[in-house]
Amino acid sequence: MQDTRRTRVILGLLLLAAFGMIMIDYRGGESSPLSGLRGLGATVFGPIERGAAAVTRPVERAWETISGAPEAQSRIRTLEGENERLREQLRQRGLDKTRADELSRLLHLSGLGRYKVVAAQAVALRGAQGYEDTLTIDVGSDEGVKTDMTVLNGDGLVGRVTQVGPSTSTVLLITDAASQVGARLEGSKEIGLVSGRGKGLSGEPLIRFQLLDSTAELKPGDRITSFGSQANRPYVPGVPIGVVQRVEKTPGALSRSALVRPYVRFTTLDVLGVVVGPPDDDPRDAVLPPTATPVPTVTVTVTPGATPKPGESPTPSGNPPSTPPASPSGTSSRGR
Amino acid sequence: MGRGPLSAAVIAVALLLQVAVINRLPLPGGITPDVVLLAVAAVALVNGSMTGMVAGFFAGLAADIVPPADHSVGRYAFALCVVGFCCGRAEGVLQHSSLLPFGVLAGAALGGSALYAGLGAFIGDPRVTWASVGHILPLSVVYALIASPFVLYLVTRVFRRFDSEEPMLTVRL
Repeated sequence: MQDTRRTRVILGLLLLAAFGMIMIDYRGGESSPLSGLRGLGATVFGPIERGAAAVTRPVERAWETISGAPEAQSRIRTLEGENERLREQLRQRGLDKTRADELSRLLHLSGLGRYKVVAAQAVALRGAQGYEDTLTIDVGSDEGVKTDMTVLNGDGLVGRVTQVGPSTSTVLLITDAASQVGARLEGSKEIGLVSGRGKGLSGEPLIRFQLLDSTAELKPGDRITSFGSQANRPYVPGVPIGVVQRVEKTPGALSRSALVRPYVRFTTLDVLGVVVGPPDDDPRDAVLPPTATPVPTVTVTVTPGATPKPGESPTPSGNPPSTPPASPSGTSSRGR
Repeated sequence: MGRGPLSAAVIAVALLLQVAVINRLPLPGGITPDVVLLAVAAVALVNGSMTGMVAGFFAGLAADIVPPADHSVGRYAFALCVVGFCCGRAEGVLQHSSLLPFGVLAGAALGGSALYAGLGAFIGDPRVTWASVGHILPLSVVYALIASPFVLYLVTRVFRRFDSEEPMLTVRL
């Protein structure tokens, strides 16, 4: 009885409207006429999400505390052991001032890479239907955030800003299947592309790294930093991305690819930074954490100020060293 | 209160709940129950296809522009409009069976999710792959089955309590 002709006509009109909007928005891309509508959404829902996040955050923390308790116990034990070792080291060597400075610089990634960062907090996670790895943060145009700015946290690269409202903005995580980041290998400086696999918030949070040069060496344990985009938007150079976990064997492929474990844990994102001012020159590997060894020896890779060659631009430098350190190390470096 | 404003209120609450609370839950599988879709389906079941599809369209449009969303505006509006219409046609189910409505809601979740993915595939969204759809689609149905009793109960209660336009619906729950 409800299903009259009028209903069908209106159904048709609504579906047509929706389809029209999809097409207009899709064709328009960044400059879509419907971005005003998105701005409206951000203006209306942004503050509500911020408020709700402020309410739910303590509950969430409590839940994390409870659910993470067994893990936390073992973690405490590991950390206590590590503490002991470190204390021993301290007793042995003493804490001289230069090392203390180095440590604090390690902790403050942004200071090390000389990024100008606006601090932000994650307020809402995940876009529609579980297909999108996106995030709302509680800073917006009022704080100077614009689209295509790099988002990072203390561990490494998180993503980029895709939409900005007055008090909130949307971040596309690097694990999203639609995300692509220019990246380079530590050491050999080989250039490649990091693309998401859409599983940052579920399952294995691995991302794919593709080397442009198929002859370049790639092995598990290699570390990857961001390469930097033109004019430093959307990605500033030198932000740590992750560690190569396993090299993919794809015979006949034109480029070599590997699965990379990101430094950032995307399920527990909380405090983030939006880079509003990029560094003056590419910090290269200076921002990477020290190589993972059981005993943290602080004096390994970090020589800030020494690595970035003066006058070097973040654009591709013509000739990357074609043969990185030889020694075809075992099984990981496959035939071709 | 009339049906229109009541439906709008229900959808708005569902949307806020979805974005601020449910999407933050660390549930296994990495996806969460789609409360907006379930609310649209429940509203349609109670009120018929006309209210259902209009509510679905606007709920979807709102979900398309709420901040963390990063897809073409209109995709979700299209999917939920169809879901609202189809559930509205199954209106009688609520009076005649006590279990079937949950099946309808789960079917709505399946259909809505598939339609959303299909539209994405149509415009070449790189996120929609066989792997991601195969992972998300079954999970969304499972979560819909788990969440549907709560949503359906609350929505029918709200309409029974505040709806002044129609004589009481007899809902067996």
